[in-house]
Amino acid sequence: MEAHRLTNNDVNMRRPEVVMAPQRLGAMHSNRISFVRTLIRKMAQQKWQVTKDLWQLSAQGFGHVIYKLKTPHHIYHLVVFCNEIEDDERNDRVIAEKWDVTFALVYGEVSEQLLAQLQANVPLQEAGRNPTNVLVLARANKSVRVFEHIVSHLAEGKQPTSDELVDVGYILRTTAVYGNGKFGIADFKILENNPDFKQSFSAQMCAVYLLREFSLDWIDYLAKQKGGEKASPLSNDLKRYLGVGNATGLGMAPYLINHPCVVDQWMSNREAALTLVLDCPADLAKHQALLFLLNKAVCHLQQVNTQNQNQEQLNHCSVNELQRFNGQLKDLISVSNTWRDLLNGTEHLSLETQEILISCLMEIYPELVDNFQDQVNTHESLNLAKGKKVNDLLLLLNEKYRWAIETDFSKPENNYWFWYRSQDKEEPRLGVRGEEIGEERELPLDIGRQVYRLYYALLACPAEMSLAEFLLQKPQYRTIARRVWTLGNKVMGDIQMNVLHKQSLPMHLLRCKLSFFGATKFDPRSDRWVRVSFFQGAPLLNEIHDGEWLFPVLPQQAVLEKSTEVAIERSSIGESGIDKSAIDDLTTVDKESSK
Amino acid sequence: MIVTHNELITVTNKAFLGMRRVCGEADLIANMVADLQMVGLHGVKHFNNATQFISLERDEPVDIKVTDGHLIADLHGSSVACHLPVIIDYALEQMIANKHLKLSLKNCHNRWLAYSELLMLAGKGIACKAQWDNGSSPKHTLYILNRGCVLPELFLAETLQREANGLNDMTIELSINDFDIANLSSGYSKHIDAKNLSGIQDTAWNKGVFVEDHEWDLLKNTATAILVENSEQSIRGAGE
Repeated sequence: MEAHRLTNNDVNMRRPEVVMAPQRLGAMHSNRISFVRTLIRKMAQQKWQVTKDLWQLSAQGFGHVIYKLKTPHHIYHLVVFCNEIEDDERNDRVIAEKWDVTFALVYGEVSEQLLAQLQANVPLQEAGRNPTNVLVLARANKSVRVFEHIVSHLAEGKQPTSDELVDVGYILRTTAVYGNGKFGIADFKILENNPDFKQSFSAQMCAVYLLREFSLDWIDYLAKQKGGEKASPLSNDLKRYLGVGNATGLGMAPYLINHPCVVDQWMSNREAALTLVLDCPADLAKHQALLFLLNKAVCHLQQVNTQNQNQEQLNHCSVNELQRFNGQLKDLISVSNTWRDLLNGTEHLSLETQEILISCLMEIYPELVDNFQDQVNTHESLNLAKGKKVNDLLLLLNEKYRWAIETDFSKPENNYWFWYRSQDKEEPRLGVRGEEIGEERELPLDIGRQVYRLYYALLACPAEMSLAEFLLQKPQYRTIARRVWTLGNKVMGDIQMNVLHKQSLPMHLLRCKLSFFGATKFDPRSDRWVRVSFFQGAPLLNEIHDGEWLFPVLPQQAVLEKSTEVAIERSSIGESGIDKSAIDDLTTVDKESSK
Repeated sequence: MIVTHNELITVTNKAFLGMRRVCGEADLIANMVADLQMVGLHGVKHFNNATQFISLERDEPVDIKVTDGHLIADLHGSSVACHLPVIIDYALEQMIANKHLKLSLKNCHNRWLAYSELLMLAGKGIACKAQWDNGSSPKHTLYILNRGCVLPELFLAETLQREANGLNDMTIELSINDFDIANLSSGYSKHIDAKNLSGIQDTAWNKGVFVEDHEWDLLKNTATAILVENSEQSIRGAGE
């Protein structure tokens, strides 16, 4: 395998020990090349068409619905099944067996036979089997409180109150979105040459975006059923504010450890884009655009309701830091040669604040950053190079894996957790070593400890011994040796986290992946699962555009009241996705906060 | 049963991890099984056969001797799947000085599972020829992957060839030059060409991979060894 060749851009990148530190990964925010953003740009630029193909719902909203998606290359359908479930059956965890909504993104036409097959299997989710023309299989539950609030208000001809919406921010919350060959559906390989969905996770993101449209159509339909002539549709401002919720748990964490080349590619790609931005002269002409986004971030964080005290404090801290920072922004730009200088000057601020600034800086350079949006796929094979010596691997470990070899794994706190899979739908779990059952079935996610053991095994051998000879004698180290050789020669490499450590937080891993997807509004419900929103603030299907929608904020109350008055008359076509009044409002917030 | 490539990989990976072996790499073995099954060569069945014996095998490194372009590895009655990658690493080091290398794998089983590693070598520009005798039909198997080939030419015979091989041995030849397929394949009663295998593989990707129901059930059952029974703690472990 060829070692990665450094380019000028690589040389200027932030160091892997900075970028791949778990706390920083756990502070990431979405940016303009997050997958949902890339998808919406593509849909807008290529003028993808979505139509309601079939609407077979009862007055109570149960039944099935089909949306047709037409791209310049292919036709797809989103098939949605709405089922009546009891409140006590509604469970976000993987072990659930019933859901309010189940859905599938299908390649090509949906014949009656296929519809019958989907009807028999999609609602069963993991317990069903689906054909390979299904690209995505997923399910979602209602946010009951928001759902009923919105429908009852609209039925009365009123718009819902913003307080209720700001608490949640979505109508439906996905609890699993499966792709890549799960439960019989198409392997990702099939999409390799598909221009629409060849980027990993893009089909899943598209299915969720179409589900958002369905959720909005659904509440308008139910309000009309309930209120008749009196009912009013939800205003477009509020529709735009509502995304799709998502509950993500521990199951996502092993993905990041088991797919290190993918994580390296995502992180390296983001860093490459960021590096181009940071190398640009700090330009006062960009001040207003940057300030607008940073103010929007403040407003966004102020509107995030979380019961998690730690996240609440982090958000509060960022709000305070950003408000001070924003007040000085013009002066700071004036004294910075490049944006890198500006970013370096924020090292004393929290990681959340630094990451917000990074997302905002990337946002104002679409001409530099968007070129990286299609570079998220990579080969995943882990290989050793021919002709290497024990010393070659030792040198690499000393250079790239200090975080692992300098951890003392003889200390109990560094081995505190073990990861295992429980019989409950094979969900990954964390157990306390020595206290809980299952240690003998521990999953090999302990990359740091494996590296540490490899290092000391190598040290015990002659430095000039060939690596092949070493592995012939000690084959148990070949898997980790392949990994460190491959990742050690990549730009960012492995996540630098001992997942066995007592203080290790899986949440950092979840946040990292969700940020790449484009999630917002992080609401950790414990240190092991989190609720987020997707597509909040995203343009609606009938107004789709490739403009920005970073850090979604609630439309101001005045806009809402006005919306209520005009919602019925308002044409749903041709509205701008950019909320100009919100910009004015944010400017006001900034002025008030700096007083 | 129609399954997907990802399901094959995932379940085999879990099944092998559950065996808690020192020798053998779960991700590579999963690929060995999936690559074979995708071309209709019964990867799952071969793996299931291996699992019956793996717990009885000596889980320890192989012994290797090299003399004049000939590498002899004694696998001590173990599965090829668990040892071939380290043997290939070592063999490639020897090829720095040789244009051609013969590998004699002694006292081994599950020889079909060598397929995936040899595919990778062919992809890297090393031509591969693998052959072995077997106690049951087919009595002799030969496949050739010339440089850059993504699928092999496969030849089967109902007579033992006995080229200094026992029924638990395998011969692999690696070369930087292509093998003469026409010459080497004479006398075989059955030829499955790469085009045929390619057709099966395309169908597997597009329509799903066929696996015999009982083989799939057996594999899935093996994969449950890694699971830990539910408990109050495991339920809380999701982060209530």
